[in-house]
Amino acid sequence: MNNRIKEYRARHDLTQEELARKVNVRRETIVFLEKNKYNPSLKLAFDLARVFGVAIEELFFEEE
Amino acid sequence: MKKAILVFVVTGLVIASAAFWFLSSPESVRNDPFELLHFGVILVVVLFALFFGYKRLTSARRGEPVEDELTKKVMQRTAAYSYYISLYFWVFLLFIKDRITLDQEQLLGTGILGMAIIFAIVWLILNFRGVRNE
Repeated sequence: MNNRIKEYRARHDLTQEELARKVNVRRETIVFLEKNKYNPSLKLAFDLARVFGVAIEELFFEEE
Repeated sequence: MKKAILVFVVTGLVIASAAFWFLSSPESVRNDPFELLHFGVILVVVLFALFFGYKRLTSARRGEPVEDELTKKVMQRTAAYSYYISLYFWVFLLFIKDRITLDQEQLLGTGILGMAIIFAIVWLILNFRGVRNE
């Protein structure tokens, strides 16, 4: 599973800490997500998509 | 925040009781390399707990949750892996107990401290490597 969290975070001018606070997780979790070292739960994926105002499949996609 | 403080309280109790045990032991026990090794392992476990507590405290200070889904998943995997590895560690201890002189207390102490070390190592690896859901 791959994601565009880093890209969208930059577009929204958010730091990892700010994004972490918005979705109620620790900063380390955002770091692991951006490095593709962790696949989030459905709830966290929805929360992230809601923060960026995009559909969940726009944020998370399967590698070809 | 409460949990982070609890970690420091428990760590303080472990340090105090280990220091009391070590200092109240007779000279012969204090100079025994095996007992020194035990004390060293306790110190490593205490350092691990302090690191753990520090991480929780910094998260609380930053206004982040002390625990989230990743930390819970890391802890669950750590428990599962360390249990599995510990079984082999106990088998190894039972194998060597007939080959070297170890009394019952030393065997149990080595086993329990070994389990703590295994838990700490597995947690460190998973904490820095991350947990994938595949």
